[in-house]
Amino acid sequence: MRVTANMSADSSIYNIQQGRKRLDKLQETISSNQNINRPSDDPISSRLLLDIGDKIKASDQYNTNMVNATTWMKIADTALSGMNDTMLQARTIMNSIISGSSDPTQRQLVHNQLIEFKKQIVDMANTQYGDQYVFGGANNLVPPFNETDNTYAGDGTERQIEIAQGATQTISVSGDRLLQGVGTDPSYGSTDVLQTFDDLIAAVGDTTTPSDAAAIDTAVQSLYLASRQIINAVNTNISRMVRVDNMSKLNVNNKNTLIGIAGNIQNPDLVKLGVQLSSENNAFQASLASTAKLSQLSLLDYLK
Amino acid sequence: MGLSAAMEIGKNGLTIYRVASEVTGENIANVNTPGYSRQRIILETAPPTTVNGFPLGTGVKIATVERYYDSLLQQQLVNAQTTQGYDTAKSNVLQQIEPVFNEVANDGIGAAISKFFGTWQDLTVNPSGTPERQSVITNAQILADNFHTVSKALSNTISIQNASLVPIVDDINATLANIAQLNGQIRTTELVSGNANETRDQRDQLVRDLSKKIGISFTENSDGTTDIMFTDGGASLVTGSISGAFSLDTTNPNSFVVQLTPVGGTLTTVSPTTGQLGATIALRDTIIPGYLSQVDALATTITTQVNAQHTAGFDLNGNPGLPLFDPAATGAATFGLNPLIISTAQIAASSSALITGDNINAQLISKLQGQKLMSGGTLTFNGYIGGLESKIGLDVASSKTTVSQDEAFSKQLTALRESNSGVSLDEELTNLVKYQRSYQASAKLITTATDMMDIVIGLIR
Repeated sequence: MRVTANMSADSSIYNIQQGRKRLDKLQETISSNQNINRPSDDPISSRLLLDIGDKIKASDQYNTNMVNATTWMKIADTALSGMNDTMLQARTIMNSIISGSSDPTQRQLVHNQLIEFKKQIVDMANTQYGDQYVFGGANNLVPPFNETDNTYAGDGTERQIEIAQGATQTISVSGDRLLQGVGTDPSYGSTDVLQTFDDLIAAVGDTTTPSDAAAIDTAVQSLYLASRQIINAVNTNISRMVRVDNMSKLNVNNKNTLIGIAGNIQNPDLVKLGVQLSSENNAFQASLASTAKLSQLSLLDYLK
Repeated sequence: MGLSAAMEIGKNGLTIYRVASEVTGENIANVNTPGYSRQRIILETAPPTTVNGFPLGTGVKIATVERYYDSLLQQQLVNAQTTQGYDTAKSNVLQQIEPVFNEVANDGIGAAISKFFGTWQDLTVNPSGTPERQSVITNAQILADNFHTVSKALSNTISIQNASLVPIVDDINATLANIAQLNGQIRTTELVSGNANETRDQRDQLVRDLSKKIGISFTENSDGTTDIMFTDGGASLVTGSISGAFSLDTTNPNSFVVQLTPVGGTLTTVSPTTGQLGATIALRDTIIPGYLSQVDALATTITTQVNAQHTAGFDLNGNPGLPLFDPAATGAATFGLNPLIISTAQIAASSSALITGDNINAQLISKLQGQKLMSGGTLTFNGYIGGLESKIGLDVASSKTTVSQDEAFSKQLTALRESNSGVSLDEELTNLVKYQRSYQASAKLITTATDMMDIVIGLIR
């Protein structure tokens, strides 16, 4: 084949450009620290990266949901534990006056304490998270309970949130289930807690009214059931927290796995790239040097 | 044969080697001219005469000055250029729109969809919260902005393709006219004297340039002219010194129609499918609208699905939910928040008119993200946009590969052409020295004959 100087020049330009292109690609990969910078670099892997990115975003969202749910349930837990303590105190004090009392002062003392206990229960049942009443069900912008009558202003919805794809978790305890003993699935008991306190207060009597031993006995039975009812709610709430906590750990594990897979695809092997870079660099320099040498050769230099 | 005959041979030699040096000079001067084919002088012996009963030559004469030209290579180059023109135009435009879909950084429509549905999840925790409701509206707006950006980028690219038809067609017409004009010059020149080598080179170069723009086939005629035919339909573009012309019907300003007036024919509509012109039309009519329709389908499905669920719920005031996204939207370009949604209270998170703090509807809307609602129930919203991105990535990657293959093929053909027709300075310099020596020798012949003539004249004296 006949070869002209222009052919060598064309070839040199083509090859130098190819070398420059490869160097540029290596440089981009190394400096961005990413194997894939645009979909066309690797369409299949970039699809996978996108999927993983979506899953990680979903995982972050579920994590936010679970943090919010846990906060909500912790606030409920504090209130429920407080109610439980109050119930225990009420039971203790009722043990001291189980058959009533003939002492008007003692009757009045217990009477007053029971009123305070009821107030405490109502206050704790009106606990808020932000501007929402935790035990108000879905109707949670107004206080669910008041001290004067024992009605419930909330509704029976127990709030659910999504904690994983297709998995929901109930996070709230509705006030009617908790203090009125109504509703099913879940049911904590069937005692009207506030009415029980009213019955106790009436049965114990006060300075002027004598105790009613039979009524005290019935009301204390109810108080025991009411106490069980609160404990059931406490336990349910705690078991929900445990589930969310477990899901949260699972979620973090999943996310780490996904980040690991994405990293395997996306993180370049810098050592390998470094070696490639130096060999490409050598080849590029060689092609520059040979071009410089070859393009200077001409018969002109030898003609006199 | 006398001494004067020897002097005559010397004189011829001087003339001929001067011409040979001129041809070499022409080659040297055009060493870098694109499309130039090196020329060579073909020498032959002058007709012999009989002297003293022996046939003796009368020196040298120029048979012709011819160019090194391979018509098969020209044909292959023309075909390769058409393919390369198509692939390069397509690849360049696809690479321009690829960044619009670059979700590798996890930013774009896919991310906006995730964030939008994420805000509905946040709303399930606090269904009556104003910040959570505001966040839903803001992220719906961000999603709309993303759709608008992508749609705008794609439709702008379509408009640019349409507008670029004007310069392409002008360029093609100018080239056709030039080829026809050169054809005329070649025919006239070659009627009078030998080969119109330079003019032929110019014309052949124009034919190769033309082949980048449109698919052509050509035939070389015995009078030196080249006829050009349009491969998409076979109409005649150049016959001898007459050229046809392309034109654009601009009745629809968004979609010009290419028309052709062939040589000796009438104006007809044509559909170019090859070369840069074919690529521009394919990008405008098929490739980019294909991507756009997929983005539109996504926007439309999100609008209908979210609206259906949103209208099934109730807002903070207990009123049935309005469509969240503008139901009048027809695609990504018009996708947006319903103008009737003016306050955060209108977000329908509840499934009951009476219980405004309920989160069931918010949950149902947030779950739409995980449902397979696209492509006949086979893909989620994110899966769909991921698939589209992957498809564009694949298109760009394969077009890049095709272009580099085309380039390598063209390079090889160009190298073959250069090997055959390219000027080698070393070769020309060698020829120059050779012709110079021959010129010197011819001059020596004349001086020798003169000396001999002097001797003869001296005898007489």
